[in-house]
Amino acid sequence: MSRPIDCRGLACPQPVIQTKKAMSESEQITTIVDNDAAKTNVSRMAEKEGFAVDVEEKEDGIYLHLTRIGSVPQTESTSSAPAEGSAGPLVVLIPSDGMGRGDEELGSILIRSFLHTLNEVEPVPDTIVFLNAGVKLTVEGSLVLEDLQALEGKGVEILACGTCLGHFALKDRISVGQVSNMYSIAETLLGAGRVVAL
Amino acid sequence: MAESERSVFLFSSTSAAIRAEKLALESGIRVKLIPVPRHLSSDCGVCLRCDSAELDAIRLLLEGSRVEWEDVRSL
Repeated sequence: MSRPIDCRGLACPQPVIQTKKAMSESEQITTIVDNDAAKTNVSRMAEKEGFAVDVEEKEDGIYLHLTRIGSVPQTESTSSAPAEGSAGPLVVLIPSDGMGRGDEELGSILIRSFLHTLNEVEPVPDTIVFLNAGVKLTVEGSLVLEDLQALEGKGVEILACGTCLGHFALKDRISVGQVSNMYSIAETLLGAGRVVAL
Repeated sequence: MAESERSVFLFSSTSAAIRAEKLALESGIRVKLIPVPRHLSSDCGVCLRCDSAELDAIRLLLEGSRVEWEDVRSL
């Protein structure tokens, strides 16, 4: 029996939280959302939790039909992890649009160099999380877009904090990765085998 | 990627590399500031990568603004 969870009109991350809560009680859930960010965030969380996602776009909302197909994939974190002695995903946290403190222009060059180099060295991170002014690196006009797109092409998950994009009025200019919320970001950090924080 | 058709300008200071990048971008030349590849060496950690076809245009630009570079190497 599908039990619909109506998340229309709810602000992020409520749709994710409510859906997740329902997962402990039901194997089959329908969540109704009204925007693409919520659709993406709920779907991503559901897939992580071992649910199949069937999207049905209706006039009155986006219906996400979730069906459990497996157990919580906590033990199969080896999917894309390079696993060099570390258990769990490798996460890089980028909390500003510069690297280090002291000189902004130099910091900008260093972060650009760093992201360029990530495409050339091992191990490849599983996820890169952009926070605060770091989200400016993910929007159109960013000088590291090509590098980030190349990383994404290699399967690196790129998460940009939606609150931060909103704060800088850049939400509609994101050009790589996904708009994410603190719920996903906190889970990504806490579930990581290793976090490299700049 | 056509790596063989790309070159880099090496500079003796980061600030020269920054100035060179600004000049090129302002002139509409596609360049990218990247860390100096390991197989090259320089006093400075970043270099300016460009299409080799743009080398002369960039040289002129840098000379015109008296930005000195150390070397040009193909990738």
